Amino acid sequence: MSHYPGAGPTVYDPMTLPSDDNVNNYTFCVELKGSQWFLQKGKMIAYYGQMDFNGIGHGRLDGLVRTSFHSPLHASDWVVAQGSGKMLLADRAFDVNSYDLEEGNLTIRSGNLLAFQPSLALKQSIVPGFLTLIGTGKFVAASNGPVVFMEPPIRVDPQALVGWADCPSPCHHYDHGYMAGLMGGLRAMTGLGGASGEEHQFEFVGAGTVLLQSTEVLMAEQATGVVPSEPGVPGGYGAPAGQPQQPGVPRLPGQLGDLQRRFGL
Amino acid sequence: MFRLQGSKVLAVDMTGDAVKAKNGSMVAYDGQMAFKKMSGGGEGIRGMVTRRITGEQMTVMEVSGHGTCWFADRASEINLVSLQGDKLYVESSNLLATDAGLRTGTSFTGLRGASQGNGLFTTTVEGHGQAAIMSDGPAVVLRVSRQYPLTVDPGAYIAHQGNLSQSFQSGVTFRTFMGEGGGEAFQIRFEGDGLVYVQPSERNTIAGDV
Amino acid sequence: MPFREINSKMVEATVMPGQRLFSQRGAMLAYKGEVSFTPNIQGGQGGVMSMIGRRVANEDTPLMTVEGSGSVLFGHGGHHVTVVNLTGDTLFVEADRLLAFEGTLQQGTMFMGSQGGVMGMVRGQISGQGLFTTTLKGHGSVAVMAHGGVFEVPITPQRPVHVDPQAYVAHYGDVRNKLSTALGWRDMVGRGSGEAFQLELSGNGVVFVQASEEKL
Repeated sequence: MSHYPGAGPTVYDPMTLPSDDNVNNYTFCVELKGSQWFLQKGKMIAYYGQMDFNGIGHGRLDGLVRTSFHSPLHASDWVVAQGSGKMLLADRAFDVNSYDLEEGNLTIRSGNLLAFQPSLALKQSIVPGFLTLIGTGKFVAASNGPVVFMEPPIRVDPQALVGWADCPSPCHHYDHGYMAGLMGGLRAMTGLGGASGEEHQFEFVGAGTVLLQSTEVLMAEQATGVVPSEPGVPGGYGAPAGQPQQPGVPRLPGQLGDLQRRFGL
Repeated sequence: MFRLQGSKVLAVDMTGDAVKAKNGSMVAYDGQMAFKKMSGGGEGIRGMVTRRITGEQMTVMEVSGHGTCWFADRASEINLVSLQGDKLYVESSNLLATDAGLRTGTSFTGLRGASQGNGLFTTTVEGHGQAAIMSDGPAVVLRVSRQYPLTVDPGAYIAHQGNLSQSFQSGVTFRTFMGEGGGEAFQIRFEGDGLVYVQPSERNTIAGDV
Repeated sequence: MPFREINSKMVEATVMPGQRLFSQRGAMLAYKGEVSFTPNIQGGQGGVMSMIGRRVANEDTPLMTVEGSGSVLFGHGGHHVTVVNLTGDTLFVEADRLLAFEGTLQQGTMFMGSQGGVMGMVRGQISGQGLFTTTLKGHGSVAVMAHGGVFEVPITPQRPVHVDPQAYVAHYGDVRNKLSTALGWRDMVGRGSGEAFQLELSGNGVVFVQASEEKL
């Protein structure tokens, strides 16, 4: 075997690649030993070994999908990798990290989730644009910059929120100084004075962990699929993906409607 | 003398020698430097001027002088490759700089280039010396050997060196839940003995994704 | 130090009563405690402040004043963040690269051209970065953003440093600046092109250069 000095600090082969761990901050290596992983399409960059990639909907996978996948439209964005070997996952040079859940639950922005083990169940969150993973197993997620873990109580810029674990759902928080008072009234009347850009946050209270990333640059949109149009179901307007909320509904900057639109929901 | 200043800046210490670099990639220098635009002329028919399907050309400059010159390009990660008589194949848009003594040329890459939407010609770098290649995120260097062939997504491929043969592999089918046809995705399979550089990011390709 | 680097793209600032910070609009990622974010209309230190503010967002959108008691995470656009601690020096920095800075610092603006004559004025136009550069002076910390992170190049009397104006981030010290052009450079980039000049910095100090020719 020839040797290439200076060809970067590390040369990997199937023996030296890690198993279910990061190769570097931006690349994650999954080892398949006859096992399966769910992958978001377009995130596999290279692999050694024998692997099949099948769209969800492939007949043989029906059973698997029934137990692990609960997001109907979203399914077209996912494939199941099975076989044996080592495969590298990455996403537009964003930071990637794996997370282990043990009889737990974690809710994550849909565009940030790259891959997960079928021992976890993937469900749509009742917060539009987010997915919830439940059970025991490993998943891989991307973020712009390393993920920072914070404890509630905390207020978070909607765009910096990656997800949360074990917390009650976030609620909206509006800066009172912006909403009311002389300044607010003046702004509302004249449109002068501008906004600080921080009038609205997601607020988390209670026990749990909040995951943050450093950016207003959101990850690519990833539809979670529509939810049934039923009374009482948030987001259940039955509107096709990509449609903004109904016009005419007054909205503050940064309110969920904008978020939904940004995510093509 | 090439060295990395952090992971995204190439520092070249020069004592009267020269370096070829992507045009416009100089971000700072100290000492005295002279710049020269390189045309394809002295470099063989095509030289480092790379033809792309889009008709776009990458131009190259020669920098010479005494001092340190720093190069960077759109915050790309930089990987140093040292060549000892062997040949490096690199996507032209991923080549940042080479020692002036290295020969650069183009090679026809056929289908892969086409499927990548990235030009039919790949740049080759040959000789003894150092080259700096760029990637979107730090590149992972993967060894290919007889017993371990490697399959790579075309959008994540940036370069390879050694004695490798490449072939196309399709057969990755998507059928969605809804029964829609999902199309096919191409992958490149490398066999032989050498190194492949992949980046943790995918350019848009017309090959489809996995 | 009020700014703690959490990772390469995020800083945490501690806010205490009576100590205000200024930050770029929209740069708050999260906060704990009771912290208020007030847009500066005429705020800060008067006219100069509003001028900085205007330049930050390229329009009439000022900086925010951050006050209260708690901690705030700042980051913006996925850009790399570098904290510069000033101990009496003056930092010259393009206003749109300011993520946040301490209220103890004295703000001002300077014509980059005042040292380089007419050429300096040209610089503002050619790099599209305006004629003014913001100055921050005194004792305190500044969080500066850059595309792809920055590296420091020391400037010494024997070794002036030339920087691509697009990649220039900030500098401090006893430094003179002017525009110059290297041998062959103008022929290469073409005359009349904005790229025809480099920022030449000489004297004693440090210049911060980013790993990209992309402005923020």
